[in-house]
Amino acid sequence: MAPAGLDPTLTTAALAALEAALNRALALDPAGQRQLAGLAGRTFAIECTSPVVHVYLQPGAERTRLLGYYDGPVTTRVRGSAADFAQLAGASDPAATLINGNLVLQGDSAPLIELQGIIGRLDLDWEAPLVNVLGDVAGHQLAQFLRAGFSAGTAASSSLLRQLEEFIHEEARLTPPRLEVEDFYGDVQALQQRVERLQSRLERLRKRIRSAGQ
Amino acid sequence: MSDKRTTHFGYREVDEDAKAGLVANVFHSVAGRYDLMNDLMSGGIHRIWKRFTIELSAVRTGQSVLDIAGGTGDLAAKFADIVGPTGRVVLADINESMLNVGRDKLLDHGYQGNLEFVQADAQYLPFPDDSFDCVSIAFGLRNVTDKALALRSMLRVLKPGGRLLVLEFSKPVNPLLEKAYDGYSFRVLPFMGRLVAGDSDSYQYLAESIRMHPDQDTLLGMLEDAGFVNCEYHNLTGGVVALHRGFKA
Repeated sequence: MAPAGLDPTLTTAALAALEAALNRALALDPAGQRQLAGLAGRTFAIECTSPVVHVYLQPGAERTRLLGYYDGPVTTRVRGSAADFAQLAGASDPAATLINGNLVLQGDSAPLIELQGIIGRLDLDWEAPLVNVLGDVAGHQLAQFLRAGFSAGTAASSSLLRQLEEFIHEEARLTPPRLEVEDFYGDVQALQQRVERLQSRLERLRKRIRSAGQ
Repeated sequence: MSDKRTTHFGYREVDEDAKAGLVANVFHSVAGRYDLMNDLMSGGIHRIWKRFTIELSAVRTGQSVLDIAGGTGDLAAKFADIVGPTGRVVLADINESMLNVGRDKLLDHGYQGNLEFVQADAQYLPFPDDSFDCVSIAFGLRNVTDKALALRSMLRVLKPGGRLLVLEFSKPVNPLLEKAYDGYSFRVLPFMGRLVAGDSDSYQYLAESIRMHPDQDTLLGMLEDAGFVNCEYHNLTGGVVALHRGFKA
């Protein structure tokens, strides 16, 4: 549903443009499109609370539809802020993000995790449209150049992230490494269980002393 | 004094029997350039209005849809995609020229199997009671001679729980927008009609018929009077167009 007060013409136009861009992108990854077709017949309701935008996503065999209004049954409804959705979109473990994050989920979570996986694995083939416009030779060369640039950029960014993480954890010691934190949480949990067990033993002993004194 | 009932044809008062023929002449004249003129006149926004109509129709696979005054088949094509091979879409138009243009266009685009074409008057729909899950009429109701009779006919052919969608020009909610819209309708539209379709009179009629069409609340009352329930309307583009929706109980 459109945000209150906004002319439906604007929201419908924005969704139409987004849907066209999404389907154009999906056409560049036939494998991803085939996987999405497996979700045909499902409807995902995405309810963003800030900014307030409600969108219904319907994957189809040939086209994926984005709707502002939908009256039928919804497979999965997800509610949260734009930041929460961005976190889910980029998550390496979407199930953990859904459980631990701020997103509110209603309905079947499995198709949503599948959808997130398909979107995350999209591998767009930019060569086809370039070849169509520029011809085989020039199109292929430009695509190769772009691929090399893209893979160099990805490698540089992942290397930068790794080095930044290492500096924060190991050199500056600003935050403990993940494994250390998990180990610490494990110890705390074990200690908590031992305290609870000790408390129940004390309780049992107290009851026994009380009954012996009577 | 004549005892014949009259109705409006644009700003003119004409005999009720004559209106259908006059409207038919307008659409015979514009049929060939109808799509092009729609795009030019609305700046392409009519596609957004129709997309919103499709969303509110909530039509699903396997359902049956009647698109009245379907003209060149914009809505019917979208409905045919949604209902799929197990569904049924009927494109109905009273005007033979418009129906021919729509049929040729849709067949050329590969639509067949779930699509039928029927020349029919919206006031006397030639379908059994309770036939359709959804009935739509986009930019057609204002040309109908007896709108109340047409609405009752649409209610009759809808299945219980089915919905009617009326997409039609309406009254802008902002007075400034209304002034600008008036200027556009009575100066620019006939000029464009003369330039592109070689027919300024038909586009002058279109502008006049829009002004004579009931406003949002009046049409809402007409839907309720015809027997529709849970009626509502959505203003689009500041009320230049309104989408009315009603359900059959």
